[in-house]
Amino acid sequence: MIRPLLRGAAHRVLAALAVLLGAAGLAFAALQLIPGDPVAIILGPATQASAQVQAAIRAEYGLDRPVLGQFLHYLGRLATGDLGRSYQLQRQVVDLIGDQLGPTAELALAALVLAVAISVGSAIATAGRRRGLKAVASGWELLAVSSPPFWVGILLLTVFSFTLRWFPVSGAEDFSALVLPALTLALPVAGVLSQVLREGLEAALAEPFAVTARARGLSRTAVRARHALRHAAVPLVTLTGWLTGSLLGGAVLVETVFGRPGIGALTLQAVTNKDMPLVIGLVLLSALVFVVISTLVDLLYLVVDPRLRTR
Amino acid sequence: MRRRRATAESSLLSRRAAALVCGLAFVLSACGGANAGPGTTASAPVSGGELTVAVDSEPVSFDVHVSPQDITGEILRHVVDSLVSVDADGRFTPWLASSWDVAPDLKSYTFHLRDGVKFTDGTPFDAAAVKANFDRIANPATKSQLAASLLGPYAGTEVVDPRTAKVSFTAPFAPFLQGASTPYLGFYSPKTLADNADKLGGGGAVEVGTGPFTFTEYTKGQNLVLTRNADYNWAPTGAAHTGAAYLDKLTVRFLSEDSVRVGALTSGQVQVARAISPVDVKNLEADQSVGLLKNDVPGGNYNIYLNASKAPFDDPLVRKAIQRGIDLDQAVKTVYFGQYKRAWSPLSPSTTGYDATLENSWPHDAAEAAKLLDQAGWTGKDADGYRTKNGARLVVKWPVMPPPYLREQRDVLGQAIQADLKKLGVEVVRDQPDIGTYIKQVYGGQTDFTDYSWNRFEPDVLWLFFNSASQPGKGGQNATFTQDAELDQLTESARGSADPAARAGAYAKVQRRATVDLALGTRSTRR
Amino acid sequence: MRRTPRAAVVLCGLIVVVLALAAVAPGLFTSVSPIEADPVNALRPPGGGHWLGTDELGRDVFSRVVHGARSSLSVGLGAILVAVTAGALLGIAAALGGGVADTVLMRLADVLLSLPELMIALLVIAVLGPGTGNTMIAIAVSLVPGYARMVRAEALVVRRSGYVEAAVGLGLPRPVLIARHVLPNALGPLLVLATVGFGTAIIAVSGLSFLGLGARPPAPEWGTMLSSGRKFLAVAWWTAVFPGAAITLAVVSVNVVGRRLQAAFTKRTSA
Repeated sequence: MIRPLLRGAAHRVLAALAVLLGAAGLAFAALQLIPGDPVAIILGPATQASAQVQAAIRAEYGLDRPVLGQFLHYLGRLATGDLGRSYQLQRQVVDLIGDQLGPTAELALAALVLAVAISVGSAIATAGRRRGLKAVASGWELLAVSSPPFWVGILLLTVFSFTLRWFPVSGAEDFSALVLPALTLALPVAGVLSQVLREGLEAALAEPFAVTARARGLSRTAVRARHALRHAAVPLVTLTGWLTGSLLGGAVLVETVFGRPGIGALTLQAVTNKDMPLVIGLVLLSALVFVVISTLVDLLYLVVDPRLRTR
Repeated sequence: MRRRRATAESSLLSRRAAALVCGLAFVLSACGGANAGPGTTASAPVSGGELTVAVDSEPVSFDVHVSPQDITGEILRHVVDSLVSVDADGRFTPWLASSWDVAPDLKSYTFHLRDGVKFTDGTPFDAAAVKANFDRIANPATKSQLAASLLGPYAGTEVVDPRTAKVSFTAPFAPFLQGASTPYLGFYSPKTLADNADKLGGGGAVEVGTGPFTFTEYTKGQNLVLTRNADYNWAPTGAAHTGAAYLDKLTVRFLSEDSVRVGALTSGQVQVARAISPVDVKNLEADQSVGLLKNDVPGGNYNIYLNASKAPFDDPLVRKAIQRGIDLDQAVKTVYFGQYKRAWSPLSPSTTGYDATLENSWPHDAAEAAKLLDQAGWTGKDADGYRTKNGARLVVKWPVMPPPYLREQRDVLGQAIQADLKKLGVEVVRDQPDIGTYIKQVYGGQTDFTDYSWNRFEPDVLWLFFNSASQPGKGGQNATFTQDAELDQLTESARGSADPAARAGAYAKVQRRATVDLALGTRSTRR
Repeated sequence: MRRTPRAAVVLCGLIVVVLALAAVAPGLFTSVSPIEADPVNALRPPGGGHWLGTDELGRDVFSRVVHGARSSLSVGLGAILVAVTAGALLGIAAALGGGVADTVLMRLADVLLSLPELMIALLVIAVLGPGTGNTMIAIAVSLVPGYARMVRAEALVVRRSGYVEAAVGLGLPRPVLIARHVLPNALGPLLVLATVGFGTAIIAVSGLSFLGLGARPPAPEWGTMLSSGRKFLAVAWWTAVFPGAAITLAVVSVNVVGRRLQAAFTKRTSA
């Protein structure tokens, strides 16, 4: 009973590590493909630095070694949790990411909660109901998934911050500043979730147990909320990977629109400056987040559903 | 090229003024009435209180000896002091040096230091501290990108006695006092230089100076906090306020989006916002709760330099045609909503030595420009309507800086210029490479246009722009890539002269020569 | 499967046709240049000679939105085509090659699928640099692993099906088998997926442009226009509102048509 569980768990953890190693290799390969001189990137656009200074930087960053040496050096450092120093910001990549993780985690979490709340609400309210209501639901879902998040963000900002002044336009300092960015990030996610949930709910409501529950005297909404929703939520778990990706990727755009600090803003800065140690650190971070979350979900499944342990 | 502060107006007095009032510059200069906080211009200032300022860019490095960014100098101005200060009339006044003697040959400066000045870590400020700081700046290992150039031909500092420091140069160097007044030649505690030299770029409590504020904390992408230095008692002579700063705490928030910064100001989240976009000026002017401050920045305007070392600009006729073919008046007016003046000289009107006779001397004249191009032999026309000569199209290469370095809608102004030149039959090619490639192309002289602005209170910037020793490949800034004996001689002699009239005369000639066909002053810079 | 009202599908189909026309022959809709600046008439509100107004340099917004269809849609379409082609080739190679090739390709896909699509696109742009062509490649790369996965699964099903076994038994060479059986069977669902993916690709293209990594101004591109227009929201909403609306309209239409195709396809294959 325990052994297959452990074997299954070990299998998944190993697979997760393999993915991480793959991501590291991929990121390093990207570094080698870049044209242009990293020393110029380190110095920025306004340099008055002499050739002497440039040589000093080259030696300091190990840019004078052959490629294979650089790769081994890099893997070795990675193993000890050393992601290197940002070319441009002159700080440890680990520290930079650590600093920016908070605001993004806050944003992603708030967006996730909002998205789930919106989609559950919408699904319960509309599944199996009249055509008109369903049309409204599928209408907003379609709009939500079809509107680019930066565009939605600009509209929300214009209406609620600049015109109505209900929410502050900037910052990550208090709760009210979180509302609009979280909503912007949540809407496209909610659109997809709501659709999946509603279809699941409709299927579940057609099952015999729903009829039984109604016969026991439960109200229609109670049946939806308590019983059918649980069944409908199962396919949601398989969306974890997509969800993580949407929130992380969306953060780049949302943080830009709202001028928020965070991983997304840091990513954009790193990419436009070709600050490769930072880009690589961020790629590894998102692979790590994905791997950790999906491994956790997998393991949960193993515990919950014994049929999966055999593989 | 050097990162320069976003121009536009509002919020800050010049860097020097900010120092004069010990950090209160932020308040006095900007929204007087916004939240009637400390320093409301209408009432007498009281001690205590906090202030939050929104700025448009964030220092890449906080090491004021290393960084070339204006924002670094502006923030660190509150933390480090300088030997001398500049008053409103451009005269040098005592600060950490109570007096100084300039050698007649302009090759050495002897500073008599003020008594009783202490760094915030308790270390006394003395001649050894001056030497430690200047030696560090001049040391190639420091990788100084701006401060070292302000030290020019630095030879060394001699500690004559604890209160006397003699700074020497290998050649006459008149612009030194101006450089010494900037925060870039400000002083860190020798103790922090010994212990934390490599951490100064990251900001925070390691930035120990003698200034009116201490650098308490920094969160990247969000804000930094400066706290009052209660012992401060050495403001520059003539400062409006002496003694410790009024404010207990000064918070600087980094809000790079123009609209977000203005929104934060009007909603009261911040009391001062810097670098207001021209498009927002009208609305802010109508807002009774916000005061607006406009200020012309001295030094080099936002100029376009023509690379005369290669085709097509090796032909003076083509350079002249380009200069006359762009309707700068209309472009600057449209792009900046009438908030900026168009420029006539490479030097800003607020810089000493500005030559006002250049104004209106090269107005837009499309017909003249076309005639000049005809004369130069660019008479063919290809299928896209561009001029050709011997089958080759007339192309101007002008790369755009990547987004984080691009400011003040310079790209939009560029589009207007591109459109004007298209009408003339000249194709302007604007790629946007990454910064590494950009530097390689521009500093390597492969491009035809180079655009940058350069903020400094000294006409010696003209040496940087036009002296042939100032080669971009070797840390210089001369993007015309030419060797012009007249320009070399003039910039060199002005730099070695102590006579204001002689210097002004030489610099006027430089401006006139450059404006003939080497540089397009496009517009003034503002803050 | 829910049904979108027929009228809505027809309307969306029409919009797709109109957008395609605008992309191919913008001259049909406007004769005004999308590039030519007229600084004297900057930021004019909609109406008069410019019925969607003018932008910060006096360029006609309507003309720019129409011409923008070309860059926005063609880059999205290009990205999808490259992704589908590469995905199909890699998927078939993995399924038929089996063994080491299969393992390597699928592990690589695992790695790529563990990263958000935008992250992959940004990594590619960090390497190649910004620009229209590179944006297209970046988005294609980010989509390839998904398509490769799908084609591989489809190809495996076909390979193991009775008629292919029979064909192998008859001595037909492999390449012929691929051409005859695997491709046509995998192609259907792939094209449907591609249609649905096209909407996502349009959003991705405009997103990268919005971040300043795609088309360069003055080229008319919806994301780029939105990005420069948002600075003028307070005084000239039309410079940002119309390009943004164009993106949403295009994506909604493509999605509705794509889903309709998907529904039709599922019905046909399950029937």
